[in-house]
Amino acid sequence: MKPIEVIFTLNGKDTRVSSDPNRTLLEVLRNDLGLTGTKDACGGEGECGACTVILNGKPVNSCLLFIGQVMGQNITTIEGLSEKGDYHPIQKAFVEAGAVQCGYCTPGAVLASKALLDNNPRPSDQEISDGLSGNLCRCTGYKKMMDAIHLAAERHSND
Amino acid sequence: MTEILKTIGKAEIRKDAWQKAAGKALYTADIPANNLKHGVVFRSPHHYARILEVDTADALKMPGVLQILTAEDIPGDKIFGPLVPDQPSLAQEVVRHLGEPVVLIIAESRKEALAAREKIQVTFEPLTPVFDPVLAAKPDTPQLHEDGNVITELNVQDGDIERGFEEADIVLEEVYHLPRISPGYMEPETSLAVWEQDNSITVWVSSQHPFTDQGFIAAALDLPVSSVRVKSSVIGGAFGGKEDSSLSILAALGAQAVKGAVKLVNNRRESFLAHPKRHPAQIKYKLGAKKDGSFTSLKVEAYLDTGAYSSYGPAVGMIFTETLTGSYKIPNVQVDTYVVYTNSPISGAMRGFGSPQSHFAVESMVDLMAEELEMDPIRLREKNILHPGDKIFTGVIINETANSLPICLKNVREIIQRFQAIKPSPGKKAGVGFALASQSMGLGANVPDDSTHRLEWAPDGRILIHLGSPDLGQGLATAAEQITAESLGIPFDQVVTLELDTLDSPNGNVTCASRMTYMAGNALIDASEKLIQQLLIHSSRILDVPVKNLLYKNGQVIKPDGSKVPAVEFVSRLAEESIVLCSESTFSFPYPEDTTPQHLPIGMPHVLFCFGAQVARVEIDPELGTVDVTHFAAIHDVGKVISQAGVEGQIEGGVATGLGYALYETMLQKGDRWVDSFTEYLLPTAKDLPHHYENIILEVPEASGPYGAKGIGEITLVPTAPAIANAVYDAVGVRVTKLPITPERILGFAD
Repeated sequence: MKPIEVIFTLNGKDTRVSSDPNRTLLEVLRNDLGLTGTKDACGGEGECGACTVILNGKPVNSCLLFIGQVMGQNITTIEGLSEKGDYHPIQKAFVEAGAVQCGYCTPGAVLASKALLDNNPRPSDQEISDGLSGNLCRCTGYKKMMDAIHLAAERHSND
Repeated sequence: MTEILKTIGKAEIRKDAWQKAAGKALYTADIPANNLKHGVVFRSPHHYARILEVDTADALKMPGVLQILTAEDIPGDKIFGPLVPDQPSLAQEVVRHLGEPVVLIIAESRKEALAAREKIQVTFEPLTPVFDPVLAAKPDTPQLHEDGNVITELNVQDGDIERGFEEADIVLEEVYHLPRISPGYMEPETSLAVWEQDNSITVWVSSQHPFTDQGFIAAALDLPVSSVRVKSSVIGGAFGGKEDSSLSILAALGAQAVKGAVKLVNNRRESFLAHPKRHPAQIKYKLGAKKDGSFTSLKVEAYLDTGAYSSYGPAVGMIFTETLTGSYKIPNVQVDTYVVYTNSPISGAMRGFGSPQSHFAVESMVDLMAEELEMDPIRLREKNILHPGDKIFTGVIINETANSLPICLKNVREIIQRFQAIKPSPGKKAGVGFALASQSMGLGANVPDDSTHRLEWAPDGRILIHLGSPDLGQGLATAAEQITAESLGIPFDQVVTLELDTLDSPNGNVTCASRMTYMAGNALIDASEKLIQQLLIHSSRILDVPVKNLLYKNGQVIKPDGSKVPAVEFVSRLAEESIVLCSESTFSFPYPEDTTPQHLPIGMPHVLFCFGAQVARVEIDPELGTVDVTHFAAIHDVGKVISQAGVEGQIEGGVATGLGYALYETMLQKGDRWVDSFTEYLLPTAKDLPHHYENIILEVPEASGPYGAKGIGEITLVPTAPAIANAVYDAVGVRVTKLPITPERILGFAD
């Protein structure tokens, strides 16, 4: 297929890529743009959440988005959270709460958590488990991830 | 006198967490390489078939295709296997399971390799597969391997079971069925191999033992081991499933063929078919007890389905067998375990290694026995638990660590009372259940079980750990750093673990068997002492003071006048003389000859055990049959907490995996295929975990452990499924003998 030009905002920067239109955002991020923080754990079937990015404030599986669909949109990947060298409060909370083990699901879970907290600064347990339910993790049992989200929420409200 | 520990037991922040949370940690699939080529595998579309012809001509003409390899093209060994060499890297003549690799395609891009795979033409003659291990074990069933379908038969007995059953007032028998489940690590298998101009090769792996990969790669490529360098990347979980090599051999063969860099990545569907699962088991379990509750006799006949190739099946059969008496003293025991080849995907190592299967039978049966005896299930267990000095049926004498069992039960009693007081939600039926668990540590007697690690004092004062076994994500490196920091009396943040590289790292052996903190910890304590000795010897020379007059404490050398010199001053000075302070130590798992029974097959018995218990409260919708685990408590003895966050993480993650085993996970056969995606194979999500959760961590020291620590990696998922099953019975009166506990099974619509 003929390549298309896609212009979108990636981690706050205007970004232009030329790509076969039937490729996914995940493929373009990892292979063309070298942003390997976005992971693939289910083979591009939208089952695991490891490839979560934030699209206009909402968490989405980048393996289910064709690159053409992000034309003109605003995308945040895990690399966009700590770009200025400082870690985002949610990243800090994940690290400090012990929510990171193998780390493969962590970028996706951090972004899902960010999207959750941006929309709901003091979520309940139920709202947190709903917010994380699209992100599979085999290491942690999710408990410390939930602790991390509470920690980030508390710190934010104390600021 | 107890010394106050500085870092041991603290919830230190693991150092790799920052990179991981920032998305900067490089897993194998993330590692860049110049002029990278891509490999894909053509896998068998049949469960069992003869290969009549492999025609790659059309595929070779496809754009971008560089090389197409079949078994014939492998220059060296065509077969590998961790215990028994029976697994072809690429199938020859016959395929024995769906998804078995047959052809390797290397192309400029993954897309082109995938397109070429469509053009591979293999002519198969389908054969009749066998999936039932009991049927496969019969001599008149077609045999999948030359030596027959029963790869391991273990017959272990102690006492006289017939007399034991005669002495019993109640004898119960039940058959338990356990499903095939996936390790379910998030990072699928992957490998990157780079052929170097000097005809050597560097291979990045996501593996529990890169040294095993090194040996297999060298053998397959017909290279000396010294020409194969294997590097560990950040590992995205393993849980036993990455003890086996697979893609590393194929990536290396591809790189050798194209004389360049080749990457292979399994997608999830390939991963489900390619990598070892937990053994499905069928367990006929017969237990006798007297009216007073004391167990008299146990007879077990069990079949474990190891699939098409043996993987770690024979060893899994051993721990399965040894844990069939659970945490109990039973005077008369006979166990017959058969590990059997079938045409199913491979079963092998997975967290728990046979113990989750055995414990579902043991702990379900003990609850059933309590009911028949009209006895409190805690009381029945108190009556039969192991105590230090008790001899189990393998001849092993249980050590002081069994002192944790009564403490576990005491906690269980208190928690059950609390959980029972909670009122059910409207329309729901509530129940509470629990289970005990035991898990062995170590690889087993008469198997080489040595672990070597090295310390280096860097000129900037930091301590570098050349850890000989990879951290799989569970936090081994953090535990190693805390033990080293404590032993040297220096701050935790001054200790750094290096990634494993076979060129430079010592061989710490495979990260598995609930023993890595124990093995590496002991080696690093010894290495720390050696490092201090070296420092003092060099300090003595530099200061011109007899070594016996110097002391070392907390990163400082203390001179006879009491003045202190920071160790870094000596280390940096030595660096100027090109002297590097280094120490290496090997710890061998202790199997004392005089106390280790020698009458069993090689690899048996295991001599050290950990114990724990878990309590579950469930709510069941009586119309839908759905189970909600509302409250959960996990009680585990770790000997000594090294890393608080690490221990909690191991327990919480283990419970989640155990909950999946109990309620959701099963890799079913559906028509001609196996369930091979997370849409049909249900891993627990954040919504499935208990709303109320508590950890109770016990510290009953293991005398041989570093600072008293024992293993925690595997036992955390062992009691989960029987605890939930016992809670389900308490709630609705249904004894489920087959996992997972589906709504259909609760409602009686499925057996």
